[in-house]
Amino acid sequence: MKHTRTNALIWIWTLLVIVVIYLPILCGALASFNKSRYFGFPIKIYATEWWQKTLDSIEIGMIVKTSILVALLVTVFSVVIATCGALAFARYDWKGRRLFQKLIILPIFFPQPVLGLALLLGFNAVGIQTSWMTAVFAHMVWIVPVVTLVIAIQVYGFDPALEEAAFDLGCSRIQVLREVTLPLLWPGIWSGMLFAFLLSWSNFPLSLYTTGADSTIPEWLYAKMVAGYTPMVPALGTMATLAAAVLLLVGGLAGMLLRRRAAA
Amino acid sequence: MLQTTPAGDTPKPILQLVGVRKTFGGFNAVEGIDLDVREGEFLTIVGPSGSGKTTLLRMLAGMDTPTEGNITLHGELINDMPPNKRPTCLVFQSLALFPHKSVGENIAFPLKVKGVDAATRKARALELMRVVRLPENYYDKNVMKCSGGERQRVALARAFAYDPQVLFFDEPLSALDYKLKKALEKELKDLHRETGKTFIYITHSLEEAMVMSDRIGVMRAGRLVQVGTPEEIYGAPVDRFVSEFVGEVNTIKVKRGTDGTWDGVDVPGRFTVRPPQDGATLDEAFVVIRPEYMRFLGPGDTAENRIEGTVYNEYSLGSRIQYQIRVGSGAGEKVMLVELSRSRALPPGADRAVTLGWDAADAFTLGS
Amino acid sequence: MASLAAASPAAHAPEGTRALRQQHMLSLGARCALPVAALLGVGFLAPLVAILAYAFATPRSFDVFTSFTLENFAGLFDPANTVWVSFVWSCGFALLTVAILAVIAYPIAYGLNAVFGRWSGLISVFFVFPLFVSENVRLYGWVLFLIKNGVLDGSLKWLGFSGGPEVLYTPGITLFGMVYTYLPFMLFPMTLGLALVPRDLVDAARDLGAGRLFIWREIELPLAMPGIMIGMLLTFVLAIGATAEAKILGGQSIIVISHDIEIAFTYSQNWPLGSAMSVVVTLFIGALTLFALSKLDLDRMLGRR
Repeated sequence: MKHTRTNALIWIWTLLVIVVIYLPILCGALASFNKSRYFGFPIKIYATEWWQKTLDSIEIGMIVKTSILVALLVTVFSVVIATCGALAFARYDWKGRRLFQKLIILPIFFPQPVLGLALLLGFNAVGIQTSWMTAVFAHMVWIVPVVTLVIAIQVYGFDPALEEAAFDLGCSRIQVLREVTLPLLWPGIWSGMLFAFLLSWSNFPLSLYTTGADSTIPEWLYAKMVAGYTPMVPALGTMATLAAAVLLLVGGLAGMLLRRRAAA
Repeated sequence: MLQTTPAGDTPKPILQLVGVRKTFGGFNAVEGIDLDVREGEFLTIVGPSGSGKTTLLRMLAGMDTPTEGNITLHGELINDMPPNKRPTCLVFQSLALFPHKSVGENIAFPLKVKGVDAATRKARALELMRVVRLPENYYDKNVMKCSGGERQRVALARAFAYDPQVLFFDEPLSALDYKLKKALEKELKDLHRETGKTFIYITHSLEEAMVMSDRIGVMRAGRLVQVGTPEEIYGAPVDRFVSEFVGEVNTIKVKRGTDGTWDGVDVPGRFTVRPPQDGATLDEAFVVIRPEYMRFLGPGDTAENRIEGTVYNEYSLGSRIQYQIRVGSGAGEKVMLVELSRSRALPPGADRAVTLGWDAADAFTLGS
Repeated sequence: MASLAAASPAAHAPEGTRALRQQHMLSLGARCALPVAALLGVGFLAPLVAILAYAFATPRSFDVFTSFTLENFAGLFDPANTVWVSFVWSCGFALLTVAILAVIAYPIAYGLNAVFGRWSGLISVFFVFPLFVSENVRLYGWVLFLIKNGVLDGSLKWLGFSGGPEVLYTPGITLFGMVYTYLPFMLFPMTLGLALVPRDLVDAARDLGAGRLFIWREIELPLAMPGIMIGMLLTFVLAIGATAEAKILGGQSIIVISHDIEIAFTYSQNWPLGSAMSVVVTLFIGALTLFALSKLDLDRMLGRR
């Protein structure tokens, strides 16, 4: 039938695009196992020494710590703020809601390099020295709106009558939040946390202008790509990618369990 | 556009189903349906949810293909004919009106598909709006701003614009309030008369079916249990399922006795029973009596059958009153229903002892 | 699309409960919005104000708020300058990116909605994951693939061919990089948009005699438009701000507007000029975004009942 042929073409096209998406990531992984300092293909001698060197490097250790610290703080702050924001976005009817919905989306539509520079300018104008702490703030300006949207999707699927029923059964506002609202929103909040961590972890344009003397993994990689390539660049890049994949896998499975428990 | 078949003639089948079956991954949604649909009739398929009626309709409309069996239209096999090639049209349960098009554009859609020019399209749409009683100034109205009843009419007009030989309806009235539903049921029947098209309607409400249909088919677990006129379905159901589906009933299980009477199994007593309609010889059977054929017997009244009981509760049904009567005792206790017009109501008071009576001719006897 | 807004089911809540809810939720909603509003006020609006202030300061100075001049803007529109060239490159590349991505993403979005069935979730994850890998890493992977003696060139030579094409450090590869980076931003809004087309409507149109192409043009495309518009807007705006593709893959064979801005801020230490450019870009993007968003009903898009 004609229908099945179209479907087959769609499958082939999609898989082809997926292969293209992951091709460069594979190339990076390949390059990291090259024994020689300069990349050439086919690789003559495979070795894990650049992975070892990357793991042993004190400088890289510090950068990884900075990246994790920034991502963790961004996650914690963003999720708290974004959960409130998502309730305002999707749950409550209030006067400024339509306007709020549109304003919150603006930062997502804003080019990050320009946003990073604007923040640098802003910090400079009020005399704040940039460091990893200012980067946390900068990441949040972009990540909070994204996480708000992610959680809002969960809030939309939530029946407001449940909260009203809990009030009606004598719960205080805090009890409603703890007993009804948060447990039902957990799957969305969890996805929001994953997004927050992983987006901060991989962010480059905002970090570039707002970390000051500190450096995150994407910044270090960029600096070395421009000048001073060693196979440690693809090695660290691959490690960061693997870390993100593992986190997404574990987090995704945990999220699925959460969802199943919420549905049960 | 008058009725195409003169009354009295036996109309020839327009649509014919032979052994139609549909399986979804091992589950038989529809199993073995044979049905002749007559040209110009209003046929309603009723059944509880999950009985396969929607699947049957989707196969007739061409949105699903039968796993087995044949569907023919005017003698031509149409099993695999896609819906856009079939001269049939479905009015969806959701109505499926296009939200980005106006009332007029929705109605004119099938004409646009056919490549009819804009002026003719508009003229025809306005004509159809008159047929379904929509005001002319609705032509440019946003279809999402119409009320439930108006949307209903738009969906109907759109289906008519396609000029199908058979129209299918998938419970389009189910979302409406009672009063509007009643009004639209009658309108639909009028439209059926005026247009002379063949209508196939599915619903879970037998009440709806009774009002509109020439014939009714009752479906259960993927099978057509009975097909007949509303009178046949109501007066001569083929089994307990159909009888209970048509309305509330009293059922008594009986065993053949020695002297031509039958002994009650779940209610004590001896009963006179009409032989089963299908002429089968049975040793065990069910006697089914509709509540409105039950009556209370006073001291001098006679009836072929009688049962003693006590009044347990009464419900007002508007012009009629229904009584719940407890008969028997202990494990054999059973509740029977009696329905009377209000003018013949009992004096108030619970736990009153009463005698119920009915004649054998008012009940029917079923084997299953 | 304005008509879609009117169809929002939110308006159908029973009058009584709605009024009740509004009464005690009014302040609660605003209070919940407060933290986000504060963050964006300080972190988004304030820096934009700072940029605006700098844009009117004396060129090559840091005298913000003390001087007022239009000289920076005059410099931008001076034909002798190359800034407008960068702006044209950026706009042109952004438009091309949007057009190419629409074609690439549509079949996938359609597949996610109607073809892949239970595989949809997994396939979506494959498309989301690249967002969590720094674009530097991904783009540099392409450098490793395309560079002389890289994966492609090396493989072809090994197979006996004369070697791979020399596409690296050309404008074309910059465009490719943009298409590559922004695919998810087109794909997901588009998928969301296509999911908004009720299955019944497509069935109904088919039942009324419409063929596939007719259904696509008359029903699917118009109804999926809000999602497709968001996808196009998002990719256009992000592509306007793109720098990494031109720097890493394009080898600066073309200079995009964001790169110009960066140079003004960093290399040439001319903050007022950089700010003036940022203001122009911001106004352009802001106007476009607000215009598009004003036509969309986000509640309907994201599924408020």
